[in-house]
Amino acid sequence: MGNTGLNELQTWKAKEVVSVNGVTIECCNLTKTFGGLKAVDDVSVTFEAGKVTALIGPNGAGKTTLFHLISGFLRPDSGQIFYRGRRIDGLPPWRIAQMGIGRLFQDVRVFGKLSALDNVRVAFRKQSGENPLWTVVRRLKVNREEQTFTEEAKRLLQFVGLSELENALAEDLSYGQQKLLTIARLLAAGADVFLLDEPTAGVNPEMVRSLLSLIRRLAEEGKTVVVIEHNMNVVMEIADWVFFMDEGQIIAFGLPEEVLGDRAVRTAYLGI
Amino acid sequence: MNYLWHILVMINIYIILALSFNLVAGYTGLLSLCHAAFYGIGAYATTLLMMKAGWGFFPSLLAAILLTGVLSLIIAVPSLRLRGDYFVLATLGFQIIVFTILYNWVSLTRGPYGIPGIPIPKVFGVEVNTVFRYFLFSGVIAGFCSLLLWMLKTSPFGRVLKAIREDEIAAAALGKNVSGLKVTAFAIAAGFAAVPGALFAGYMRYIDPTSFTLMESVFIIAIIIIGGAGNFIGPVVGAAFMVLLPEALRFLHIPDAIAANMRQIIYGLLLIILMRYRPQGLFGEYGFE
Amino acid sequence: MSRPNLKSVKREIADAFMEESKMLWQLLANGFVNGCLFALTAFGFALIYNTTRIFHIAHGAIYTAGAYLCYVFLVKLGWNMPLAIILALTLTALLGILTELLVYAPLERRGASLLVALLSSLGLYIALVNFIAMVFGNETKVLRPGVEATFHFGPIILTRIQFAQVITACVLLPLLLLLLRLTDWGKKIRALRDNPTLTEVMGVNTRVVRLFVFALGSALAGISAVLSALDIGMDPHIGMPALLIAAVALIIGGVGTFEGPIIGAFLLCILQSLVIWQVSARWMDAVTFGLLIFFLLFRPQGLLGQRRRLEEALT
Ligand SMILES: Nc1ncnc2c1ncn2[C@@H]1O[C@H](COP(=O)(O)OP(=O)(O)OP(=O)(O)O)[C@@H](O)[C@H]1O
Ligand SMILES: [Mg+2]
Repeated sequence: MGNTGLNELQTWKAKEVVSVNGVTIECCNLTKTFGGLKAVDDVSVTFEAGKVTALIGPNGAGKTTLFHLISGFLRPDSGQIFYRGRRIDGLPPWRIAQMGIGRLFQDVRVFGKLSALDNVRVAFRKQSGENPLWTVVRRLKVNREEQTFTEEAKRLLQFVGLSELENALAEDLSYGQQKLLTIARLLAAGADVFLLDEPTAGVNPEMVRSLLSLIRRLAEEGKTVVVIEHNMNVVMEIADWVFFMDEGQIIAFGLPEEVLGDRAVRTAYLGI
Repeated sequence: MNYLWHILVMINIYIILALSFNLVAGYTGLLSLCHAAFYGIGAYATTLLMMKAGWGFFPSLLAAILLTGVLSLIIAVPSLRLRGDYFVLATLGFQIIVFTILYNWVSLTRGPYGIPGIPIPKVFGVEVNTVFRYFLFSGVIAGFCSLLLWMLKTSPFGRVLKAIREDEIAAAALGKNVSGLKVTAFAIAAGFAAVPGALFAGYMRYIDPTSFTLMESVFIIAIIIIGGAGNFIGPVVGAAFMVLLPEALRFLHIPDAIAANMRQIIYGLLLIILMRYRPQGLFGEYGFE
Repeated sequence: MSRPNLKSVKREIADAFMEESKMLWQLLANGFVNGCLFALTAFGFALIYNTTRIFHIAHGAIYTAGAYLCYVFLVKLGWNMPLAIILALTLTALLGILTELLVYAPLERRGASLLVALLSSLGLYIALVNFIAMVFGNETKVLRPGVEATFHFGPIILTRIQFAQVITACVLLPLLLLLLRLTDWGKKIRALRDNPTLTEVMGVNTRVVRLFVFALGSALAGISAVLSALDIGMDPHIGMPALLIAAVALIIGGVGTFEGPIIGAFLLCILQSLVIWQVSARWMDAVTFGLLIFFLLFRPQGLLGQRRRLEEALT
């Protein structure tokens, strides 16, 4: 299917949005400029529940910027973003996160001076111990709650293979380990939409395998998963749908084999 | 003997100041230059309530804590979105404004003349009228405050503050209300700073604005930096060290005329040296990086 | 008592009005003179802040040191005025260079945060000021005893030294702005302000530029301190208010600009005069810092600065 051009994209959107119930995130004509640079240029995309969507494109294409817009860390110059029909652009990031949009950063962003375990524990939502009054007055209840969080956090650390390092400070972990830690942290926070910015970069091959199966499993559980990924084999393997971005615009989208086979994409991206 | 108890009273007072300031600076990573302003507001509020409204020490103290916490919102809410040195500057401005008000609102505070004759606190009808009693009294209160602050710092609340300190963007991405939590921590710290204010007023039985200057805020920062920020032991050690330093100089027979300057030179140099080689202070875990 | 006749009442009101307006003029003139002095300090502070982003609190101590160095040469050693001033300024510049070499440069090399630099600077301020107080005592010292000759300009009276303050600032500041635009060093300084990494990459030795900036900035603080001390004397604590006004002037005028702090200093000092006129000198500080907080909150880029993107924090 489609290879170039925005018009085609919009006709597609008009058709698909109505027919697919699973749309969770819908971006309409998003634009974001930095100085004179259009980092995101009139982008309209939708992401669906139960699907893994890959966002690919050369460096500086604007992929991360699009994630920043959706998660509220940047405000679009124009355009709208909807999450399950609710407009979310303009809301503060933490509100968007609380609505269920989880986010993995390209630059890992661990809490350096916190232990690995605390990095995960801090992520759980609805901790009554985060209220300074409850934490003093209802210490016992908070402690009990904390116990469940600790067990759950340990389970997640085991899942990403960091059990042995639970007491190490996050800043002392290697890059790959930090990445895994942020994944555990994201799972602890729980989300309905996962925006993953290069989750496999810097992670060892074995771990990549289990990450990929995790990503598939999240989609099977009905989550919306969007992955920014540079490794085309990975894209072929896990993506149900691919958007190709270049110079701030979506220039192609479709099934993985279609997009990766597209001439324009190959010239723009792979230089073939 | 009174001399020893006197020093311990001062250490008790500074321990509460340091531990409460640590909640803001060490845990949340906000270097505020107006902690002495809250200390002063606490001292004046308690004093005025005792003397003008005739309240007892403890009701006045409770009201002062609330008042200080609420007043801290004036500066906290707008300036917490400022970063780094802009936040430091805004709090510095607030410190100077509070001092100016204490100094010039003569009809309320008697300005530079200060307020003499502050009533002695009473506990269950017993006057805390000797230095030793005041040591016990301030020790119990300092212990209680430390316990509360310790509970806060070792709780999920303390943990999320640390997370914000480390990376507020990541914290926001996890759904933490970063500015709300910062404001809360700031107000709690301010409220706690009112306690040593009240203790100081009740102990000295006289207050004037010169105890609550910008330099006093700097002194509190120095305590945290020398002892170490971000954990519990650092501020306690820092407070003890900073209170004992002038006494130590006295034992070295350094003449009074230069001892005061000498002490400040020492802590100024310590600040420089620690920032260079050990920004987390002697016992701390957080180095303002 | 007889009823006062209408004419004399009218005349009294008119006289009072004349007095009042005379006083206003004088206060505005004083504000302008102060503005000249603080513009020099603020410009020096801005040179350093704009290029290094270090909140150089020790600038206040260097300011104090400038005045005291002049005191040593002029009063203690009895040397003549030009020599004393030139020596004092040279040593003040040297003090700035030493500060960078011994305190800030090592931190920069370690990649320490700016908050750490600020705290070191605070430490240096405390140590230096108390050293000065220990050596010279806390009492006010004067550089020149006796009454100054005065000049009258209509309703305004200026002393000779105030006149010198105005002339110095009015010559130096435009000259410096011009040099910043035209000379090679000026270009390097502006490049460092705009983008330190790029400047380094382009082959400029940024360390040397930083040293130069500290020397020049400190000398400017020294000039302003000496000029002020010649007028009203000095004590060890004159540096803090000077530093604070310089910092507020920079924020008001616009961080990142070199004209901003000058404009900010004049605005601030004239505003202070108006506060003295309408309210009272006692509330001057509250107004100054109220203005600071206002700007920080509502116009953090200052009058001339460009709006910095909040989003820079993300990258
Ligand atoms: N805060 C910012 N200020 C200025 N320019 C920015 C900012 N953030 C991104 N840019 C620019 O916007 C463009 C898009 O950047 P973005 O990070 O979104 O690219 P990307 O597709 O994620 O690239 P990569 O694959 O390298 O991660 C780039 O040219 C980048 O330099
Ligand atoms: Mg990216």
